[in-house]
Amino acid sequence: MSAPASTASLANKFLGAGLAGLALTAVGLFVSDPHGVALSYLIGISYWCAIAIGMLLLIIIHHLTDSGWSTVIRRQYEHGVSAFTWLAVLFVPLLLSAWLKPGFIWPWMDLAHPLHGGHGTVGQDVLYVKKAGFLNQGMFTGMTIGFFVIWIGLSALFRKASFTQDRDGDPKWTSLSRRTAAAGVVLTALSLTFASIYWMKSLEYHWFSTMYGVWFFANCVRGALAFAVFITVWLYARGDYKGIYNTNQFHTLVALAFAFVVFWAYVTFSQYFLIWNANVPEETFWYNIREHGDWLWVGMLLLFGHFFVPFLAWLVYRWKAERRPAFIISAWVAVIILVDICYNVLPALKDAHDEPLPFLSINLLWVLTSVVGVGGICVWSYLRSLATTKLIPIRDPRIVESLTHHEAAAPEPGQVVEGAH
Amino acid sequence: MGAHASDHPVPAILAEVKPAVMPRPVLVANNRDFHWITEKICGLVEGKTPVWWWWCFGAAAFVASFTIAGLIYLVATGVGVWGHANPVNWAWDIVNFVFWIGIGHAGTLISAILCLLRQKWRTSINRPAEAMTIFAVVCAAIFPVFHVGRIWFAVTPGWLFPFPNSNGIWQNFRSPLEWDVFAVSTYGTVSVLFWYVGLIPDLGTLRDRFTAAGNVLKARIYGFFAMGWRGSNRQWSNYEMAYLILAGISTPLVLSVHTIVSFDFAVSLIPGWHTTIFPPYFVAGAIFSGFGMVLTLMLPLRAVYRLDDLITQYHIDCMCKIILATGTMVGYAYSMEFFIAWYGANPYEGFAFINRAFGHYAWAYWIMISCNVITPQFFWFKAVRNNTTLVWILCLFVNVGMWFERFVIIVTSLARDFLPSSWGYYSPSIVEIFTFFGTFGVFSVLFLLFIRFLPIMPMSEIKMVIPAADPHGSTKH
Repeated sequence: MSAPASTASLANKFLGAGLAGLALTAVGLFVSDPHGVALSYLIGISYWCAIAIGMLLLIIIHHLTDSGWSTVIRRQYEHGVSAFTWLAVLFVPLLLSAWLKPGFIWPWMDLAHPLHGGHGTVGQDVLYVKKAGFLNQGMFTGMTIGFFVIWIGLSALFRKASFTQDRDGDPKWTSLSRRTAAAGVVLTALSLTFASIYWMKSLEYHWFSTMYGVWFFANCVRGALAFAVFITVWLYARGDYKGIYNTNQFHTLVALAFAFVVFWAYVTFSQYFLIWNANVPEETFWYNIREHGDWLWVGMLLLFGHFFVPFLAWLVYRWKAERRPAFIISAWVAVIILVDICYNVLPALKDAHDEPLPFLSINLLWVLTSVVGVGGICVWSYLRSLATTKLIPIRDPRIVESLTHHEAAAPEPGQVVEGAH
Repeated sequence: MGAHASDHPVPAILAEVKPAVMPRPVLVANNRDFHWITEKICGLVEGKTPVWWWWCFGAAAFVASFTIAGLIYLVATGVGVWGHANPVNWAWDIVNFVFWIGIGHAGTLISAILCLLRQKWRTSINRPAEAMTIFAVVCAAIFPVFHVGRIWFAVTPGWLFPFPNSNGIWQNFRSPLEWDVFAVSTYGTVSVLFWYVGLIPDLGTLRDRFTAAGNVLKARIYGFFAMGWRGSNRQWSNYEMAYLILAGISTPLVLSVHTIVSFDFAVSLIPGWHTTIFPPYFVAGAIFSGFGMVLTLMLPLRAVYRLDDLITQYHIDCMCKIILATGTMVGYAYSMEFFIAWYGANPYEGFAFINRAFGHYAWAYWIMISCNVITPQFFWFKAVRNNTTLVWILCLFVNVGMWFERFVIIVTSLARDFLPSSWGYYSPSIVEIFTFFGTFGVFSVLFLLFIRFLPIMPMSEIKMVIPAADPHGSTKH
């Protein structure tokens, strides 16, 4: 009863779906525009990395703030970050493409890559030459390896401390995790910032914005919170969380997701507004190409779907505290984050007239296969990890506080919690 | 979820729950009870005015006179008495404005945002922090109002506040400077309301105590402001709801105020100003400087009034950690600005940042970096956080650093903009220096009056976080 009921069968299904998605994406390279397929795969990787990074950040924030309420949920993040290893493996094809076929995904990797509008090549582009010390294959590869080393290393430290504490109940693991979180928050903030710059922003390397890392951070945490809602609702529906997870914990989790809805809007609006208001062509072009064709409507979808819909819905208390509406809104958020990443990546695909290829195109299919492919492996990794440990960190110093979140009485250690529902 | 335990059996895993022992720190030390808290806080108001208070008040009033004299001279003579000149037409006035507005943010963060986040450690420090917010807004407001020279023009013909007039002259509503007028005045109003609502139960207590002591005049004054508070169940219920609503309103308001302040610069094209990270970076900086000022004020107050049991080492720890976190965020923003100035490959942006670090104002830049990025890193160490003298000194550096941050942003960019032929070097006039110096006196006078005549801590809120308030003896927070 300690670990949740078997998830082996479900894990295998996700593994199968993941492999099928990856296989279909690979097929796409031969039957469709390979550039579009490659960018779609980059979207799949970036999306799932964002969710895993968000979970890592939530673990870090939990430890840094000595949080009580989120202790019963934290274990799920610890399982979630097990996916980093597989994400690193899945990133290898992108790294290989950087060396074997430079410029295939990131145009600046190929100095002979022609610029749009017949303005010479990347190597002749003064704007590239100025930033060549940062935008080069060696730095890209080294930094990307560094990002994964940081994320995998931090995840391993947190997982080891938490899982070992289940066995020995030593408070030193909590102290150790707190110290790891202190160093980890700086490393994670810097790594996610530069990952977003290298992987997504540099696709249109002329463009720049100091807010970009903060935008990616907001999406990471929003994605992780959406998946935390899915996981906890699923565990509750299976019966694993019954008697453990209560309305107050759930409401607090969704309230945090609500706060990040506002944070995302704040960050994204600030970036757009300041660029729109200054009206400098070297910045506005990034938004201008996103007003062509159906990208304008994708922008509108983000404005209303990424902010207004969840914001207005979650103003209602009941929709934060009840499983079904919170689950539906979280599912919407999870989808719209994917759209947001598409909005940042796909317009880099241009037609012969230097216009971005439409959003509604065959590329969406490859985005779907990539997201299912990478996601299947990530969920499989989560489920595999889930089966190996206790459902909740039973020896964590704050576990009773978490189980009785918002209840007046904190029971004695070891006492079965009455009314922990 | 909504299900109840009776709907399903209690999972066996709950029987395995045996938490490691890591008790949370207490929020009120030495098992102080309700009575002690009331006596301690009311005693500060009821007791004889300490001699040190008079000395401090006299000194503060003297310093404040510098601002008054400076402003009178400015109105009588004209804004030319300040050192502004092409190309630096914004300087200490807006630097000081942003500095003081930023100081105020910690008060709202502690009272509103930490309230929404259910952080119980806020209770001992929220009242003085809120007072600090209001007094800081007063000091901040001096500069935009007086920078118009003839201050009556601020209202009519409406250089700051909209005023219908026969000439149909209106402000530029598309300017963030005008948004500032609305944002700051709304913020000031809500901050006063929030502070006052929190004071009501404690004013009622003071009224009752002065009545019992036979001091009719004071009982009437405190009774007037207590607005008939009787502590009934209905009144508490309304009070709690009002407090929560004000916390909800204040939270977006405080964030919007410093966001708009950041827009003052970021909407422009001036190199070093136009950067998209400004809004969150300014908010983080404001919280950083505000907590610096809270500790600067609270640590001497704690020592003088012997408030160690109410402002414990845990409170100091938490504030130091917030300073560390926000200081590191500010450091992130500085780095990102510098990096993107290079990455963006715009020669003007690149020059602006190189000039900041190595140009004529490099001394100001490195003071800023030392105070805002390096100083808070000392708070990683517990030994530093436990040394209150050191904490106080480091917080002084934080205050200095945040003033210099605004100076660096504003003056260096204006002094060396696009056109080398118009470059200049700004130095403040003695009037500017004295006017700014005096605002510390204005602030101190108001703060000293606050600690003398009002309960400096929310008694009712502190009582709610001590174990005696919990029938089960829980200490969780």
